[in-house]
Amino acid sequence: MMIEISCVEVWREISNYIDEATDPELRDRMKAHFKVCKHCSAVLDGTRNVVRLIADGAEFEVPASLSKRIYAKLDSQLRKS
Amino acid sequence: MEDQLIDRCLGGDHEAFYELMRPYERAVYFAAVGVLHNSADAEEVAQEAVLKAFNNLSKFRREAKFSTWLIQITINEARMRFRKDRAHLYESIDEQKTDEEGDYRPKDFADWRDIPSEELQRRELREALKRALQSLDPKYREVLVLRDVQHMSIIETAQVLGISEGLVKTRLLRARLQMRDALAPGIDGSWTTGRAEFKKVRPW
Repeated sequence: MMIEISCVEVWREISNYIDEATDPELRDRMKAHFKVCKHCSAVLDGTRNVVRLIADGAEFEVPASLSKRIYAKLDSQLRKS
Repeated sequence: MEDQLIDRCLGGDHEAFYELMRPYERAVYFAAVGVLHNSADAEEVAQEAVLKAFNNLSKFRREAKFSTWLIQITINEARMRFRKDRAHLYESIDEQKTDEEGDYRPKDFADWRDIPSEELQRRELREALKRALQSLDPKYREVLVLRDVQHMSIIETAQVLGISEGLVKTRLLRARLQMRDALAPGIDGSWTTGRAEFKKVRPW
């Protein structure tokens, strides 16, 4: 018989769940919880979306010519030596 | 390959250092942004980190990965810059390294169905993500950037930040949930998917 899991326990493990880093028994208990708890299911969906959006790199534009400018201080030191 | 480049660099071949750095330029910049969240400062810190790595290459112990060592230098430089900029505040980004207290309670916004990024205005999304990231405590933002942007493993992230793997996971959890809470209100107004409107369910 599967032991129920509380919402607080679910929130504590939700990041590991998204990363598929929970043990199988806990994973099953959480899956069963998501089926019956709208709030936790919403938290799961939302957090998954956030991880996906961040990984998409939408926010993280690399400045143009970073490749040159990142060496500015090193170049300056080497020129002086 | 990297070992050879390091040996060449230590032998005086400076070009080898540029070659060694090339795969990690973006990672260095993003690591700095993760702490500072100001692109101008981040770029300056990235330049400092590159210089420091070059000047201290002889101290690199090859037990760890070069990228881990490099990103550690970057994070340390960024933190020093952060502390300097905020010397008048009592906020500290590396105070207790013990487990965080208490459980984080994510807000109840009812369903947040899949909002495909292609349905949102790219710029609006970028601004919202930026604001949400800025709202995070730096110690959470660091972990989020290293894990979810740079795709570093938990172990690597722990090594770079000098904290336990357990603390990486705890901070990552908080960072992700806080981002979700910061972004979810967008579904009430500016972002829609064209599907049925979401019912607001607020505890207040």
